[in-house]
Amino acid sequence: MFWRMLQGALVRQRRRMFMMALTIALGVSLTTAMLNVMLDVGDKVNRELKTYGANIMVTPRAASVVKDLYGVEAAGGGNQYLQEADVGKIKTIFWAHNIVTFAPSLAAEAVTPDGQPVTVVGTWFEHYLPLPTGETAVTGIKALKPWWQVEGNWVDDADGQAAMVGSLLAGKLGLRPGDTLAVRLGDGRQPGRFRVAGLFDSGGAEDMQVFIPLKTVQQALHLEGKVGKVEVSALTTPENELARRAAQNPQNLSVAEWETWYCTAYVSAIAYQIEEVVGGARAKPVRQVAESEGAILQKIQLLMLLITVLSLAGSALGISNLLTASIMERSKEIGLLKALGATDGAVALLVLAETLAAGTAGGIAGYFAGLGFAQIIGWSVFGAAVAAKGMVIPLVMVLVALVTLAGSLPAMRMLLVLRPAEVLHGR
Amino acid sequence: MTKYSLYGKMVLYALLRRRSRMVVALLAVAIGATVLSGLVTLYYDVPRQMGREFRSYGANLLLLPDGDNQVMPEQAVQLAAGSLPQGKVIGMAPYLYDRVLINSQPIMAAGTDFAAVKKVSPYWQITGQWPAPGSGGAVVGAEVAELLRLKPGQTVTITVPGAEQEKKLPVAGIVHTGGSEEDFIFVELPLLQQWLGKPGLVSVAQVSVQAGEGELTAWMQQTAGTGGGITPRLVKQLTQSEGLVLGKLQALVYLVTLIVLLLTLICVATTMMAVVTERRKEIGLKKALGAENRSIVLEFLGEGMVLGGLGGLLGTGCGFYFAQVVSLQVFARPISFQPLIALAAFGAAVAVAGLACLIPVRMATGVEPATVLRGE
Repeated sequence: MFWRMLQGALVRQRRRMFMMALTIALGVSLTTAMLNVMLDVGDKVNRELKTYGANIMVTPRAASVVKDLYGVEAAGGGNQYLQEADVGKIKTIFWAHNIVTFAPSLAAEAVTPDGQPVTVVGTWFEHYLPLPTGETAVTGIKALKPWWQVEGNWVDDADGQAAMVGSLLAGKLGLRPGDTLAVRLGDGRQPGRFRVAGLFDSGGAEDMQVFIPLKTVQQALHLEGKVGKVEVSALTTPENELARRAAQNPQNLSVAEWETWYCTAYVSAIAYQIEEVVGGARAKPVRQVAESEGAILQKIQLLMLLITVLSLAGSALGISNLLTASIMERSKEIGLLKALGATDGAVALLVLAETLAAGTAGGIAGYFAGLGFAQIIGWSVFGAAVAAKGMVIPLVMVLVALVTLAGSLPAMRMLLVLRPAEVLHGR
Repeated sequence: MTKYSLYGKMVLYALLRRRSRMVVALLAVAIGATVLSGLVTLYYDVPRQMGREFRSYGANLLLLPDGDNQVMPEQAVQLAAGSLPQGKVIGMAPYLYDRVLINSQPIMAAGTDFAAVKKVSPYWQITGQWPAPGSGGAVVGAEVAELLRLKPGQTVTITVPGAEQEKKLPVAGIVHTGGSEEDFIFVELPLLQQWLGKPGLVSVAQVSVQAGEGELTAWMQQTAGTGGGITPRLVKQLTQSEGLVLGKLQALVYLVTLIVLLLTLICVATTMMAVVTERRKEIGLKKALGAENRSIVLEFLGEGMVLGGLGGLLGTGCGFYFAQVVSLQVFARPISFQPLIALAAFGAAVAVAGLACLIPVRMATGVEPATVLRGE
């Protein structure tokens, strides 16, 4: 009997049930979309902030003490280098997946035929690096410095005679893409001739420099397999008190704290892990980039959280509103049921079962619609899919169940106290 | 006259007699208006607030001496900074660089204004303290401190080439930035100017301006040639990235706002429709008594708009309050009231409530009174 009544209600009151399911679907889709976007926004924005460039600088340990300061020759002179073979190991640390890209470089002083000194930097432009894990990583300054405005083309790493010239230097020397640049590198008697593949405008000190493939500089300086420094761009977690204490000296932490610090993607932890794998290296976080990233990330996450709370509250009230409206509408029917001898429990059960049926259908439809909305946001804003987090499903289910029950409570109370005679008479 | 007073009475009593239903409808409209006004206010304000956050990356504009000059007069720098859009300059830190000797090691010294540095480069991590103004304290870069084994509280002896006399300064703090700042020793600008015999001269000024790349480029073109010995340059890495990331953020908030609004409005409309559909019998009775379709539609429209107006007023207030709370929580800065947005939210609430009433009424007036009254 109960099932027949339920079925009857669902079929006969199709319109009303459809409305209820639609409202719940809307609420659920909103909830799903906002939760998914909120949980993923940190990762996405973090990737966007990578346009600010490297946040970790890896230099040889010895050189970081006796470094030449703006042309001041350091005492001792014994410059040390990092091994190029070690560079790939950066991709093997605990937080390897958080390393977005990196580029080694080796700088050399060179002289143009008319005696002007220029700094020539050897680096990877777009280098395919085989990893110990068998994968191949694409690294280089093309990915590391996306803000460079390039006129002409990027240099192909295999082409040892190609060069990219900074815009200020090019202006001074009168160079255009396609021209030839002659500079004397290292102790070579003959000036090397380079084809200018492109000019770049970086807005920084690089605008006075020439960039050529790393191999060429290594050969000219007789420093095969050596690099001067490595710039690393990594996804990091905003710093907190623990990270700050660790940055002072990791040895001061307790074992439990040390483990937490090591297994969190703090910029200091990643720098520490790089020092572990790259021999004789010193990895320093670039505070300007690392600190600001943390601040901006936290703000965005908080902002999204608050917007999500508002939209959740909105959809919860919307659902409960509609439920109240649609149950009140049926007072006459309920009155008749009660007049025929239905107990309060039976009536409540029937109404709840109906609501549940509509809610389930609406909830499932809404979940998938919400995923769709989240993808629309992800693709149009970040150009990448928003990861569908599994934890959203139980969260949404609990929320919807709570909201639906809470929403039908006032209406339910009204139904139970209603007097059949009054209602049937029409007030 | 009587016609209108009757109309007013009908609308008023329709609302009063069915209190519980009307509260439901009112609540729905108010929620819609809250979401609308709250989110749109945020959407309008977020880029501005975020733009300020991005200034924690440091200076985005450099003022350099013209041509091959090494220094420029401080007054010209002040003049150039003064021509920037007022109220948007977060800070301007002047720097004068020269080489000095410490323990007969050549070190680069920078004279600057520490109060301005704190504003322009908030990412400086200081171990120890910032020097008190006028105390003559120095801030030592981490690399230099390691090289010379300096600690906060110690005294550093500086020899300026050319001047025979040695100067002793207390070390107030050690600065860590991970950048080139760690290779410098920072002292107060007037002090270094006096030692070097370069009064009123600076080598570079870092300016942090809350403005996009386009705005800054326009300013540079405007002042080109009138610089008085100064060349402004953009820190491209910052200005370009900021434009990129801010654009994405704005798009994100825009899309989220759009989707939330769309869904909320549909929610409001369905609730209103449910409340009105219930009254088909009443419509049938009015028609049987000889009411025209037009007057029935007008009556319901009036009811809907009164509800929309009340709910809109309530919701607009709540929405502004919400935006204010978010802004204070996230950015720790109050939001300014936007009358236009409030008006738009109010108007939208009235329009949606009215339209949502119309659809079911239209359907109800289309059927024969007898059918409706008989019940189905």
